[in-house]
Amino acid sequence: MVALPPVLLIALPLLFAFLAPLVGMVSRRMVKLYTLLVLILNALLSILLFINVMANGVVYEQLSGFYPPVGILLSVGYLGAILAVLINVLSPVVYLSYFGEAENSVKFSMLYMLVTASSTGIVITGDLFNMFVFFEITAVGSYGLVASLRTKEAFEGSFKYIVLGSIGSAFILMGIATIYGYLKTLNFYDIALRIDTMPETARLMSFIFLIVGIGVEAEIFPLNGWVPDAYQGASNRVASFLSVGPSKAGIYAIARLIFTLIPIMSGFELSLLLGIFTLVVGELAALRQRDVKRMLAYSSIGQMGLILIALSLHSETALVAAVFLMVGHALAKSILFIGSRDYSGGLLRNPLIAGPLFLGVLSIVGMPPFPGFWGKWYLMVDLASRGAWTIILLIVFTAIVEGVYYSRYLFRGLNGEIRTLTKSEIASIIILASILILIGLFPQYLYDPAVMAARSLLGGGP
Amino acid sequence: MKKALAAVISIAIFIVLSYFFLTGSAPIDYLKGGNYTDPITGEQYNHSVPQQYVEDTKNDTGASNVVTAIVVEYRGFDTLGEVTVLFTAATGLALLLDELKRRTLPVVDPNFILKSAVKVVLPFIILVGAYIFIHGHLTPGGGFPGGAVIAAGFLLMILVHTTRGLPERKLSITESLAGISYVLIGLLGLVFANEFLQNYLPLGNFTMLFSAGIIPLIYIAIGFKVGSELGGIMHNLKGVHEE
Repeated sequence: MVALPPVLLIALPLLFAFLAPLVGMVSRRMVKLYTLLVLILNALLSILLFINVMANGVVYEQLSGFYPPVGILLSVGYLGAILAVLINVLSPVVYLSYFGEAENSVKFSMLYMLVTASSTGIVITGDLFNMFVFFEITAVGSYGLVASLRTKEAFEGSFKYIVLGSIGSAFILMGIATIYGYLKTLNFYDIALRIDTMPETARLMSFIFLIVGIGVEAEIFPLNGWVPDAYQGASNRVASFLSVGPSKAGIYAIARLIFTLIPIMSGFELSLLLGIFTLVVGELAALRQRDVKRMLAYSSIGQMGLILIALSLHSETALVAAVFLMVGHALAKSILFIGSRDYSGGLLRNPLIAGPLFLGVLSIVGMPPFPGFWGKWYLMVDLASRGAWTIILLIVFTAIVEGVYYSRYLFRGLNGEIRTLTKSEIASIIILASILILIGLFPQYLYDPAVMAARSLLGGGP
Repeated sequence: MKKALAAVISIAIFIVLSYFFLTGSAPIDYLKGGNYTDPITGEQYNHSVPQQYVEDTKNDTGASNVVTAIVVEYRGFDTLGEVTVLFTAATGLALLLDELKRRTLPVVDPNFILKSAVKVVLPFIILVGAYIFIHGHLTPGGGFPGGAVIAAGFLLMILVHTTRGLPERKLSITESLAGISYVLIGLLGLVFANEFLQNYLPLGNFTMLFSAGIIPLIYIAIGFKVGSELGGIMHNLKGVHEE
């Protein structure tokens, strides 16, 4: 098989996004189909890349003809490949729900392509500043997407996101500047090789700068003030897309930060603490919500906390758990967000909608055999083997809280008059639910790559 | 009273800061430190990345402006990203503004001085902007400032032709074509050389206009793109009011 260069995953959607206004001038109606085709092409490229990485190990690609760290290096590791497939396969499926909508905006489709490309860029780059640039594109694109409904809530959510996102970017930049000031390099591996030569305080300072900056995008407490408002104001498919693309890219960046870039003990402890806070605060806040999208948003925050706990345990089983949680969360939350209307219910009396939504809830709550279950199971196994009973109790407690508010969600959905979604939205959630079932029934196809990703991360690789 | 106090405080801060700057220890050598290692081959080098940038730019890229060489060649992929950030911001703004109901403001007739001055100055502004981005590899400047200068010309046009505005469609086409040509220049690197954005043109004579391979081409694309993008942003902001 021909090994295609990974840069195509970023360059092609950029090219097609630049081309989109011209397509829109020829025919506005074609733009949706055009965007869907571009996203599907990207999904195919990402699957080819995934197969290549699984067969041959980490794929490196130099850019502009200079060896790293003088030039920029792309490096696709196992975790990066898994997430690249996750983002690029789910992105067209979520976009599918946009068909049949009266609104027909070329600009929306362009932003969608750009954010997909830049989220992919974050997970396949091997250069710190390059990652920052992609963070910028992701954030700026998401501001526009969140506000795209042009309602008061949408503008409020987008504005909060802009404020926090800009502060976060400034922090990332300061972290990068600190590292560059000492080491004169921006390449992940070059930094990792020589991070010990940095003074202790400078290392800790850059770690904190980076985790604060990235934490905004990864929805970590206390940096996630924008999350509930942005998800509430955004349209359903945008909320769904945000939980697939940008948030997963953010959590990947944190994984790379604590494992590859600055692997210090206090870093793991700090992120464990942040993870526990994020989990508890997110779940408890979700319990109190009256608006269904706010509830789902807080639930997302809780899940991010769980993933962060799994990452910061620094063991193979826990990292496998983290991969399962990421995949499970992306799939289940994208279903729930597309299918979220208001709380007055009625939606679940249509079996075609009830089926996927119910599966999504089961996966999030952690019922076997869905990815959410496998994730929580491996996490529990790892925690039990260290005797960390306090954390186990906390996770069980939050799972009960989750159970309570999701059963309330289902109960309300079953009552009231029958309401429905558009055909394309139903198609989209059915495809997502079938992927969820497939991974649930054949977890070994995700388990093996996840183990490889865990080993590679623990060994300081990508 | 307040103003006097503010003046005293700022003078004090100025004196303290300049004391620290002037009596500091020996100047820091920003190039030193951090000899790098190639992460793939594991090869060790005995100089740092900034040293490589400063000393080898001429041989590596043929550009006489080191900053340009870093921006467009060594870290060209980042610049593609930065161009995309601006593009994304402009697109997001257009998404929010261009379908809101437009209400033209009461027309204020521009005064005579502005009208007649623009006729004289505008060609020169465009010329300077174009000069800045075409000579980006030789002199300070480049695609971003050049494009911004051209956009300043557009702003003058908006101020003078209050009713007409800018040709939005043409700006949009220019912007698309410039972006596409940037990515295509990069992709041709994959075809003619080995890597994305790698130089595949002859480096030419040092310090001459036709030198430095693909750098001038990329900067021309960026100049057009930034100019039309900023112009589009100003056009979108003009006379748009929420009902």
